[in-house]
Amino acid sequence: MNDLTIKSSPFVNTNQKISFLFDGKKLSGFKGDTIASALLRNNINFVGRSFKYHRPRGIYTCGIEEPNALVQIISEYSEPNTRATVKKIYEGMEVESQNRWPSLELDLGSINNLFSPLFSAGFYYKTFMGPHKSFWKKIYEPIIRRAAGLGKPPKEFKAISSHLHHNVDIVIVGAGLNGLLAAKSLINSDHDILLIDFDTHLGGIINNSNKISSIDNQSPLEWVKETVEAIEKSKNIKILRNTLVTTYNYINHLIAVEDKYVGSRPSENKVNSTLHKIRTEHVILCNGHIERFLSFQNNDLPGIMLASSFEKYICRYGTLPSKEPVLFSNNSNSNSLIYSLINQGLRPKAYIDSRSGENIEANLFDIIRKNDIPLYTNSQIKGVFGNKRIEKILIEDSKGGLSEIKADFLCVSGGINPDVHLFTQSKGLLDWDEKDLTYKPSKPFQSTITLGSASGQFNFENICNEINEKLKIFKNKKLDTKIDLNINTSYQIEKLWEISPHEPSIWSKSFIDLQNDVTTKDIRQAISEGFDRIEHLKRYTTNSMGTDQGKISSINALGIVSELLDKKVNEVGTTIYRPPYAPLSFAAIAGRNSYEFYDPERKSPIHQWHLKNGAVFEDVGQWKRPWYFPINSSESMHDAVQRESKQVRNFAGILDGSTLGKIEIKGKDALIFMNLIYTNSFSKMKPGSARYALMLGEDGMVKDDGIISKISDEHFIATTTTGGAATVLGCMEEYAQTEWPNLNVYMNSITEQFATFNISGPKTREIMQKVFPSMDFSNEAFPFMTFQFHNYQDTQIRILRASFTGEMGYEIYVPSNNAIKVWEQIHSFGKDFGLITYGTETMHLLRAEKGYILVGQDTDGSITPIDLGLNWMIGKTKSDFLGKRSLTRSDTIRTDRKQLVGILPSNKKERLTEGQHIILNEKITTPMPMLGHITSSYISPTLGHSFGLAVIKDGHKLIGSKAFASTPDQKTIAVDIVKPIFYDEENKRLVS
Amino acid sequence: MLVIECPYCGPRDQSEFSNGGEAHVKRPDGNTDISDREWSEYVFIRSNTKGIFYERWVHSHGCRKWFNCVRDTSTDEILKTYKIDESRPNLKEFKNKIDTPSGEPELGSGNFTVKK
Repeated sequence: MNDLTIKSSPFVNTNQKISFLFDGKKLSGFKGDTIASALLRNNINFVGRSFKYHRPRGIYTCGIEEPNALVQIISEYSEPNTRATVKKIYEGMEVESQNRWPSLELDLGSINNLFSPLFSAGFYYKTFMGPHKSFWKKIYEPIIRRAAGLGKPPKEFKAISSHLHHNVDIVIVGAGLNGLLAAKSLINSDHDILLIDFDTHLGGIINNSNKISSIDNQSPLEWVKETVEAIEKSKNIKILRNTLVTTYNYINHLIAVEDKYVGSRPSENKVNSTLHKIRTEHVILCNGHIERFLSFQNNDLPGIMLASSFEKYICRYGTLPSKEPVLFSNNSNSNSLIYSLINQGLRPKAYIDSRSGENIEANLFDIIRKNDIPLYTNSQIKGVFGNKRIEKILIEDSKGGLSEIKADFLCVSGGINPDVHLFTQSKGLLDWDEKDLTYKPSKPFQSTITLGSASGQFNFENICNEINEKLKIFKNKKLDTKIDLNINTSYQIEKLWEISPHEPSIWSKSFIDLQNDVTTKDIRQAISEGFDRIEHLKRYTTNSMGTDQGKISSINALGIVSELLDKKVNEVGTTIYRPPYAPLSFAAIAGRNSYEFYDPERKSPIHQWHLKNGAVFEDVGQWKRPWYFPINSSESMHDAVQRESKQVRNFAGILDGSTLGKIEIKGKDALIFMNLIYTNSFSKMKPGSARYALMLGEDGMVKDDGIISKISDEHFIATTTTGGAATVLGCMEEYAQTEWPNLNVYMNSITEQFATFNISGPKTREIMQKVFPSMDFSNEAFPFMTFQFHNYQDTQIRILRASFTGEMGYEIYVPSNNAIKVWEQIHSFGKDFGLITYGTETMHLLRAEKGYILVGQDTDGSITPIDLGLNWMIGKTKSDFLGKRSLTRSDTIRTDRKQLVGILPSNKKERLTEGQHIILNEKITTPMPMLGHITSSYISPTLGHSFGLAVIKDGHKLIGSKAFASTPDQKTIAVDIVKPIFYDEENKRLVS
Repeated sequence: MLVIECPYCGPRDQSEFSNGGEAHVKRPDGNTDISDREWSEYVFIRSNTKGIFYERWVHSHGCRKWFNCVRDTSTDEILKTYKIDESRPNLKEFKNKIDTPSGEPELGSGNFTVKK
């Protein structure tokens, strides 16, 4: 450590040394240091290369507004773009500088600076247009990506965060002088209050500057300590430290992120950050102000820092960025820095003020004279020069006289702005203040109160009056706090946005956005090219579009634009401030909805059995469904499916269909309701029978299908597709409540209450007889599409004779708790009959052979039941059902609609693929009219060749004719268009 | 995120609800003969109001009840929620309380200033 540590700051523990790595070099700082304050202690200022020109950049600020000092934290999964001015160091932390190669000192990318005249505004839009469009993807983009940019995205990533909800009456954002006073006046009031601050130590300006000498005749820090203790003891105020409010949404909904590991290494398996979601009645914004910089030639060189930041390093961190900085200002806010330096026994090397002598405060003059500080009034800095650090400063006085001083550090102040980001996020309106040269909050849109410098009150004398007045609605305790200042000044500023270079050249640069390397020249160019509206200009130049959102520079840009356009600043307007206030990690937003909790996984009651028996799973919505069951690890999916299919057709197979949606419908008017919801008519159905049914949208398109079991006119059970269950229930509820509230009907999901087993194949009846010996499974006693209840070992199960394979079969509904018992029972009896378990892929193959459609695969929301050839399912005598009128719309009665057909390759050795287009020509030429496409295609072991289902224009008429299926390699396969059924057309196997 | 007052459960966060589009669109009775145009207006056509709008919501992650709502689409202010069987409130009940009807600040959007 060296003599740049000036005092033991109350916030930094100089007894506790902490070592960390910066670009591989071991450095040390103290407990409480940020990366930036520790680097400055080690006399390191040059910390990164810029975004576009790879220019050397230093630490510019001391807080969240930092545009330059962004670093990569290697020890935290290589977290990029971390603000060195905010992130606290801890033992063993590894930090790297960004956007340089091979090293910070020697960066090959800095050649961009030489070519910089090429990289003007709109460079990418103008340059990389040709010669061929593939150039962008293959050549330009990879090169630009490597050369431009900030940190590298981490390869591996792990962060845990949690979400916390708050419902409070008042949120106070910022616990600086105003935030603490506001909270103090509301101690033990009837309001539930959250006081939120980004810092670990509350106090804001009191900790960060030497502006205030005493509060109520106490030392300021003593006052903060007492006030915070009083707040903590109160019953109604909770303090959130290390928490940044990033977002101010509609209806006073705030989002704030709390860092749980400030100044220590984040735990691998504990929550690193908490995302607070806060709903409140009122918001009091006390989030202070931000100092802006000034644009002059080379205003980006390391060794330049905002004046208030320099003061903050002294007061908050007890470190001195430089022993004799030059100070350049156009306002009175920087006066306290001179006081702070003198207070440390130091002296600025020079003070340059653009204001004329008579406008400079008398008490500042006294200090300057008493300490013999070289003073340049009515003067401006024309430019600074140096190699990787400022070395000399060129000053111009009002008469144009030039002088040069040697200096290695420069503090600038271009005035201060209220931090209006959150206020404008809340949709509050701003007003331009021509005297203070800044936008200030004027009209809140929500119940928002701004206090202190956040409201544009830059002076201290009125603080208590403002709080007493604005918080009256909360019946707060009246404050009469006495605040004494070290330098008593009221805020005063003179207009100064940009200083033109002394000897302009194509290489000279005055930056307006440090992070995105935007120069004032870019702004001029954009305006001359017609991008003179502020929102256009922002996007064309990328001004204020970095991760810092131009916090220290966006008002300057407005000022420059207003002068160029000869308009008032409020006519130029501002760009919209959007959340978040500062970047927050995706991990924080995701909270616990990540990794295995990202989306619920739904499992059938016999999932464990599938696991044990080697099932390969497929995701169907949130469900895990067995896809196929390979007999060993070498059996491919194709082989397994062929084997499973043959076994079902020849013997028997069982499928776990538990994921099918099941809805129970009850009520006096259940029959009327079901007749309205589905296309079919259920009126003549006998209790104990079932029917395949279709549900349409009001547009007449097939939405879902399923089997409806009628227990009585007042009680139905409907099945739905696995993916459609929630939608179908939602649709039923919607119509029951909104269109037919007069009907007495209730519905409920019973999907998870019952497991469903689909057993089918020629041996099924024999197996069922063994499992349920007391039942009569004969065709006469138990015909197709009927169901029976049965008590099986104290469990009531329901057996429905139905099939999705084309073989005779049953669906067995078992309460989930007993499902595994019945499942295993069936297997133990079925073994002898060749029963196998099959997965969804075999189910798809078998149903396609039989021509059964799969809603969502063979239909796509543009297919009517008529298109599917399912006219018989439409209850034509019914006066109404969902979508009925649409089936006779001019569009749905067209004959040339896409209709479902079967497709067979003319040469049986050819193989069809789903998605192939059906066309009429053998040779492909463009444009090629397309009839439709293949929706399902499989290789059938029963047929011995490939087959498919397709939807094609005028398909029903084309049955019997020939066509072609196009392949991705521009070839065609000759196909026959056939009826969409390939197996047991007479349903002999189904109903026998 | 909005706070929506479910007529059955009280005020809840918007994330518990789903929007159901325009309210008070009557489904034509299947027993009456209507033209293709009349039917398609029911199926496909909805108004896209800027300002006071009657719309349907369902408390999908709550009581699963449908209800109606009057919302100012330009400010997102929810003026009233009411049960599905209650009659449609009169427009005159509501006053636009916000000065900029679009909800955008007069200053704050450069695009907005362009229009002036």
